[in-house]
Amino acid sequence: MSERDTGIPTSVAELPNSEPRYVGRPIDRLEDPALLTGRTQFIDDLVLPRMLHCAILRSPHAHATIVSVDTSEAEKLPGVVAVVTGEDAKRWSNPVMTVPPGWGTHCLATDKARFVGEPVAAVAAVSRYVAEDALELIAVEYEPLPAVADARKALDVGSPLVFEQNGDNVMLRKLFTWGDVDGAFAGATHVVQREFRWNRLGANPLETFGVVSQWDELEGTLTCRGSFQAQHHFAMARAMVFNLPLNKVRFIAHPHGGSFGGKGGARGTDITALLSRKAGGRPVKWIEDRMEYLAGGASQAWDRHYDAAVALDAQGKVLGFRVRLLDDLGATAEGWGAVSAAKPLTSFTGCYAIPAAQYDLTIVATNKLPGSPYRGMGPPPHNWVLEQLMDLAARELALDPAEIRRRNFIPPDAFPYTIASGNEYDSGDYAAALETALAMADYPALRAEQARLRAEGRYLGIGLVNTIEPGVFDWNAYAIVGQPGTGVPEGATVGIDLFGKLTIKVGFALEGQGQYTVAAQVLADWFKVDIADVRVIALDTLAAPPHFGPGGSRLGVAITGAVLGAARRLTDKLVAVAAGLFRTTPEHVELRDGRIGVKGMPEASMPFQEVAQTMLARSDLLPPGVDPNPEATYVWTAPGRTPADDQGRAKSYLTAANACHLVLVEVDVETAQVHIRKYWIADDCGTRLNPANVEGQTQGGVAQGVGAALLEEAVYDEDGQLRTSTFMDYLLPTIYEVPMTEKRALCTPSPFTPLGAKGCGEGAMHTTPAAILCAINDALVPLGLELREVPASPQRLWTLLQQGKAARR
Amino acid sequence: MTVNGERHEADVEPRTTLVDFLRGTLGLTGTHVGCEHGVCGACTVLWNGKAVRSCIMLAVQADGAELKTVEGLADGPTLHPIQRAFLEKHGLQCGFCTPGFMISVYELLSRTSTPTDEEITDTLGGHICRCTGYQSIVEAVHVAVEKMRTK
Repeated sequence: MSERDTGIPTSVAELPNSEPRYVGRPIDRLEDPALLTGRTQFIDDLVLPRMLHCAILRSPHAHATIVSVDTSEAEKLPGVVAVVTGEDAKRWSNPVMTVPPGWGTHCLATDKARFVGEPVAAVAAVSRYVAEDALELIAVEYEPLPAVADARKALDVGSPLVFEQNGDNVMLRKLFTWGDVDGAFAGATHVVQREFRWNRLGANPLETFGVVSQWDELEGTLTCRGSFQAQHHFAMARAMVFNLPLNKVRFIAHPHGGSFGGKGGARGTDITALLSRKAGGRPVKWIEDRMEYLAGGASQAWDRHYDAAVALDAQGKVLGFRVRLLDDLGATAEGWGAVSAAKPLTSFTGCYAIPAAQYDLTIVATNKLPGSPYRGMGPPPHNWVLEQLMDLAARELALDPAEIRRRNFIPPDAFPYTIASGNEYDSGDYAAALETALAMADYPALRAEQARLRAEGRYLGIGLVNTIEPGVFDWNAYAIVGQPGTGVPEGATVGIDLFGKLTIKVGFALEGQGQYTVAAQVLADWFKVDIADVRVIALDTLAAPPHFGPGGSRLGVAITGAVLGAARRLTDKLVAVAAGLFRTTPEHVELRDGRIGVKGMPEASMPFQEVAQTMLARSDLLPPGVDPNPEATYVWTAPGRTPADDQGRAKSYLTAANACHLVLVEVDVETAQVHIRKYWIADDCGTRLNPANVEGQTQGGVAQGVGAALLEEAVYDEDGQLRTSTFMDYLLPTIYEVPMTEKRALCTPSPFTPLGAKGCGEGAMHTTPAAILCAINDALVPLGLELREVPASPQRLWTLLQQGKAARR
Repeated sequence: MTVNGERHEADVEPRTTLVDFLRGTLGLTGTHVGCEHGVCGACTVLWNGKAVRSCIMLAVQADGAELKTVEGLADGPTLHPIQRAFLEKHGLQCGFCTPGFMISVYELLSRTSTPTDEEITDTLGGHICRCTGYQSIVEAVHVAVEKMRTK
């Protein structure tokens, strides 16, 4: 099914408005006045009557048997109302579902602790200060066990076992072969093979996770307010954890101070729910502090060891691509981190027409924090590996990095194009993005400058990377890790009130991407009203239409589809009523430029508001069978997606945005510091519904990409102790590290989506780390060195430079 | 203490942080807590005209002080030129760090109406924004400078 079958416009020209004023323009965000004045209610701003505050006691050991937990002294502390331990969790809840299955625990450790920071007990008290005092009075007796904090050691026979009952630490092992990979490598004139290491890093939104849970024993209901991404999803999971019917679980998402994939907070929500139950139904608030976030939150992703290779013919055409990935997911599979090993199937071969590919995937458990989703969800490290190999191959064949890419791009006339791993790309012109970036940077001049400075002993490097951003998330690509499913709903309800103003009701809270504004832009242009006449409000899980919310570069496209679908349905209702009023039939009536009237007879028309007012005020005048409520709901799902076959091949993410990033860096070989000197971006995400939003997403992705490339790393020692538990040692990029970029927009509209837009929330994160590492390695060419580990911290780079010096001596 | 022109008196435990006092006792929740160890800048408020981190100060240290928080920037429904500039230049996404940024920019523009690029960078350099990548914030500061000059 295409969007045409649903009546949802695939281009701006199809809107019933000859002069759209909002779609495609950088409209000021409706979200901003409340944020700028401090009035937006983030979860920590919420105060409920008789609310208690939770503090959580966490394991100091990476692996230890819990012999006993004595909470009696804590319970005696004035102000403490309830204390819970693993025993309460066992009595009142189930372990959470995991992907892959069978690697989960209760929200509080029961038999043993499996990572530093795992919750062991929790307190609800009249203030957070008192609750933290009480933690010091809880006596836990641990018997430390040997820990394993290295993925390769976790595979050894005799390794400590994270879950003894599972027999080994292998959470999942699968081999996928798409096409004749052996033939491609056997027939190649060049094979480039390397090992790569991507170290753990994570989302780190400025607001940590927070929740207020309230258990009502009389009604048997659970209400959770929090900074939830995908509130309905988490409500379903809580229904299973607490054996509650789903209609007795109500989730209310508050605006979040950023998420980037990690705002689910299952354990914190479950712990506060248990505390509320024990405290007789008083609401219990937990606001994760930063150390808790870094040690025990959704703060870590992508702990990866790669062994990868490309096979090429003499002309530099890539014939085959092999990836062996050892992915360290940490102690459990509760955090949905495994799906990030599956998402590369959506864009396995990047921008290139590579006919054969292989993915040899092993996911292991270790005594580290469970991995969580992070912006991009897996392709960022995968792209980094592929793009490094492309650069290495170019060097081996004495080709320019731009030229080898040109020779391998999927050509613009080949779309829609199905890649070896099964996903379909909607549209694109990759060479155009590359040539645009080269022209912006004056590439020949850059290379000349590089050569000139090289002669002076300065090491400049140019990184040039093209990537796909799979957009509009669905579950299909995740079948390989045990997550089935087709389609993810996003609903919107659009209504007109008696005064003629419009309201959009949605099921997701503000997160920062500006989707309320996009929804309002689209609706304002549909009915040709001022955007100030549109209000967007968020509803809870029991009131909202089916929804998923932000995630996977999805919501901008999905909410546009939902709003347009609802507007279409509402218009059909108005048309039916107007047809009665004009004494004609609906097929002769249309909405055009905000008026509803008889086609071709401008004088026989009225403002759409008047039709709605008639419905609300004089339903007795309506034609029979007409629903008198001027409101309609539409639930949008990406069209044409397919479930995965036995090799994981699926038509999965709906859109394939693409970008070319070109970066100039200088490596100081004395201090091992990397300076980003210039940065250019040519980006194609189809129709830009609000270009300012898109630019913001791009630049924000660059910043996170700079962090990934140069700074951010969750460091564990070999005993599983976390060494980066504050922002003093887990380094986030500041304005001093993030370059101001020059951006240019290209547009190949998606033929499959509402208004031709493509997902754009994660794009730069897919590209920036690869581009910076390509640039660093380009700078290191004269020294004969290659850095194949991220982040390229000064320490790591300095070590490499010293090794290089020693080797040259 | 005086906060945004309004006098407040309260007894506090000596260990109460300034940000907890502002948020919890006074209900001024516009000032946000990001890291609780003075790195991120989300909790920045003006303390006797100086931008400080209220997560690593104690409430008792503000005894008798003149404070300004994000709630004190706008004049009723009229946004302050700095707020207006952040809005126009999309200088925020999730907006959680934004009050802290704006307070530091306010301090800078109280000191000088013609800040150099280096002064702007150094002012923003004490804050972490995880969403915007800073570019639009820098542009917002330039616009704010212009707006303040022509105010």
